[in-house]
Amino acid sequence: MREVSIVGIGSTPFGRHPTIPIEQLGVQAAVQALVDSGIDRSRIGALYLGNFISGPLNGKEVLAGIVADQLGLQNIPCTKVEGACASGGIAFRHAWMAIASGQCDAALVVGVETMTHAPTAQTTAALNCAMDNENDGPSGLTFPGLFGLAWRIHADRYGTTREQVSAVVRKNKANGLLNPLAQMGATLTDEQIASSASICDPLQLYDCCPASDGAAALVLIARDLSGEAAGVPIDVLATVQTRGASRIAGHPDLCSFDATVSAAQRAYAMAGIGPREIDVVELHDCFSVAEIVDSEDLGLVPRGQGAIWAAEGRTAVGGEIPINPSGGLLAKGHPVGATGVGQLFEVVRQLRGSHPNQVGNAEIGMTHNLGGTGVACTVSILKRRA
Amino acid sequence: MTSPSSNPSLPVLRCARCGQLDLRGRTVCSACLSDQLEAFEIQGQGRVASYTTIRRAPTQFRDRAPYEVVVVDLDAGLRITGRLDPDSQPASMGAQVTLVSASGADTVFTVRAHP
Repeated sequence: MREVSIVGIGSTPFGRHPTIPIEQLGVQAAVQALVDSGIDRSRIGALYLGNFISGPLNGKEVLAGIVADQLGLQNIPCTKVEGACASGGIAFRHAWMAIASGQCDAALVVGVETMTHAPTAQTTAALNCAMDNENDGPSGLTFPGLFGLAWRIHADRYGTTREQVSAVVRKNKANGLLNPLAQMGATLTDEQIASSASICDPLQLYDCCPASDGAAALVLIARDLSGEAAGVPIDVLATVQTRGASRIAGHPDLCSFDATVSAAQRAYAMAGIGPREIDVVELHDCFSVAEIVDSEDLGLVPRGQGAIWAAEGRTAVGGEIPINPSGGLLAKGHPVGATGVGQLFEVVRQLRGSHPNQVGNAEIGMTHNLGGTGVACTVSILKRRA
Repeated sequence: MTSPSSNPSLPVLRCARCGQLDLRGRTVCSACLSDQLEAFEIQGQGRVASYTTIRRAPTQFRDRAPYEVVVVDLDAGLRITGRLDPDSQPASMGAQVTLVSASGADTVFTVRAHP
């Protein structure tokens, strides 16, 4: 297996781009990544594109081929991958595999989604395609509802309070204000959060990520060829994909995702490091309580203390383990298929030392991307060279 | 599907080869890969593993909102996602519940007692 490095990054702002066709967003991010890498596009040997619902919301499929055509790429394999909210992370891992296995020397990863042009009901119906609609869907459960279930358990088991969960919201919204690519940065008070509309008890409006449009892209190359790149290469120490239960009935604990726990364990083993060596994390905070559960599942925070650590500022930039300095899904936004690639974009900027909300001297970073009701997960660990 | 009695049973699947119980939506036993899944009925008693009030509902549930979704650990050993009957007393963690109706995959419970 060859080692792999990230040598180019690009991203559109995440937010509302209802008049831009989905493939154009992908092309914009891809061109940025190619230019950033300094690698000629003739070197790209494969394209993997992460997307979830371009079919139901845009009536467009084979997006990978469409984007490659507009980029004038060679006659290379172009593949769209889908794993609900984890689509982007899965696309990245497949590009990594293509290079690591020697199938090609360099590859392009694109993640893209557009959602805001569609009526909310249509978007909700499309997103619910990621649920088990034989068993869980008929109850009327929604994705925010899944995390309402998790919150009740966390509160019952560990005594977690509204105010502690609000600390996650305030942190990520404040981080988003510092990220020009973020959709919904804000300065919020506990009172504003606690008085916002109820969505799925105990979740309220500010506990939920927005619907978003956006794209992000990466250029990967074999580490031994990374001298071809214009900038500072960032090495991929680990990237792991796992499967969890596809339905609620398969989750023995609704306050933890098996797919995250196993992906993290395998990623730490692959990288040869432990959680304490991680300097910065972008994790899948689709809802406030998700950040709490994820941070515990990833072994970054002791079990049951995710909310307390957020409330004590230990997950802020400058804290022991900075989580989501980009603003996360809550503030940066969640263009579903782009999210996992966007997380890698953010961590590369941290490791290059060029992030607008920089974690001091960040050397090793982690991303965590979770799809469906925990059915698909990727965890990746990146490192800058000493 | 729905029993007319006050305590309806819940239709599930049982593997004729290994005996594993499963919810609907499968044609193969995930434990032994047998395709001999037969209709089976279990009692609808269990405890609330968690619950949430859905206030922003999908289109087909919009006229029912708000409603309570409950995850129930059935005494028979299966975990199932259902809804709370609108006439039920409120859910709580660990509350004892009983099935009141089962139509297709639409299962509705009522709270019998709180822990």
